[in-house]
Amino acid sequence: MAPRSLFGILFFLVLIVSIPVLSGEPTEQIRETSDKIIAIVSNHDLNRTDRAEEKRQLIRQAVDERFKWDEMCRRALGRHWVKRTQEEKKEFRDLFAKLLERTYLEKVEGYSGEEVIYEGETIDGKYAVVKVEIVTQKKTDIPVHYKVVKDGNQWFIYDISVNGISLINNYRAQFNSIIVKSSYEDLIDKLRLKVSED
Amino acid sequence: MLRSLIIFIGLLQIIVAICPDAQAQQRWGPLDEGDNFLIQDRKVDSQESDKTFGREDSIPDPLEPLNRCFYQFNDKLYFWVVRPFSKGYNTIAPELMRSSIQNFFSNLCMPIRAVSCLFQGKITGFGEELLRFVVNSSAGFLGFQDVAQQALNIKMRDEDLAQTLGFYGIGPGFYIHLPILGPFSGRSLFGWAGEQFLNPVDYFLDSWFAVLSVRSYDWINRASLRIGEYEALKRAALDPYVSVRNGYWQYRENKIKE
Repeated sequence: MAPRSLFGILFFLVLIVSIPVLSGEPTEQIRETSDKIIAIVSNHDLNRTDRAEEKRQLIRQAVDERFKWDEMCRRALGRHWVKRTQEEKKEFRDLFAKLLERTYLEKVEGYSGEEVIYEGETIDGKYAVVKVEIVTQKKTDIPVHYKVVKDGNQWFIYDISVNGISLINNYRAQFNSIIVKSSYEDLIDKLRLKVSED
Repeated sequence: MLRSLIIFIGLLQIIVAICPDAQAQQRWGPLDEGDNFLIQDRKVDSQESDKTFGREDSIPDPLEPLNRCFYQFNDKLYFWVVRPFSKGYNTIAPELMRSSIQNFFSNLCMPIRAVSCLFQGKITGFGEELLRFVVNSSAGFLGFQDVAQQALNIKMRDEDLAQTLGFYGIGPGFYIHLPILGPFSGRSLFGWAGEQFLNPVDYFLDSWFAVLSVRSYDWINRASLRIGEYEALKRAALDPYVSVRNGYWQYRENKIKE
């Protein structure tokens, strides 16, 4: 009897250990961040108005750990990135990160029990795509792809595409249009104005 | 009137197709070291296709000044008419009712999806669309309920004639932002024109006024289910016109790939 139950326990252990391995490293890390954010958003204690800022701060922190801002900026400016000085790059990074964070916060704060289904991932060298399906309460599925890049043993998000629309590609088109039509300085002015809007 | 508009846009599409280089120059400026940087980068990165990273980032837009005017018109139309109207309508009609009405109209448009599936060789899709129509029109109370999805898990195929044209390698042409109707590519405008022959609403009703009323109702009902999306886009965008154009283009290209 004893060996059999030992075998049972071993089998159970193997099962527990192997489940996370099945979905792969990038998916696991995205899941970790996304679970963390959902926990913050659905925490009722944090929903009081006097703790709104604290809640935002917590979400911002979780987002910061997973997003690779430099990579996002480089891709969003595209061919105009190389022409920038170090100071300009830093200034751009701060403004663009603020805008993305705000957009993300407003999306996340509207969370009302949507289900997140992990549909798989494709890895190609240091790049990967984590495919997710968000099921709303109206039972419509929104496909979301997280594009991630590996740095050390962590995977970082550099682009998110929703319904096939890449966020970074969309900003790249806007930024390019503004720079080509007027100037980079004008882009920075517009960004600053946008971020200061409330 | 509609016919001459389509012919006019068709001619323009051909002119633009002949001189694409001038277009790229105008939008992106001449090649420089910045492009080399991206071309190099693109080789490392397999996640973004060649098309999305480099110069061909968007659909040609030779009519941009005119399109921007129409976009402004639609923007005002949305905030002054569509949104207030929808808010009122939403208080009378509960969401369940509005989505049922949307299901009803979607079910009626089965021929568009079925024919598009057939022409793209998606035989399963064609069969599923026919099955869905039969099931939803009967068990789904004339299509108000999407039982085919709920009970049989057969989802609607989001196929249309423009995607079919794209499937056969026909290029998108250029961007057109029409008043009321919104964003189109040359290709999707032709597809849309063709779909008018496949839309059964036009065959059931005999006066153009009835057709227009029914179509408008379908349109406003759909819009009422999506209030808030445009506001969010505008809040995140630096140039909402370009954001809509690029979003539309990416969305359509992605649909053709599927």
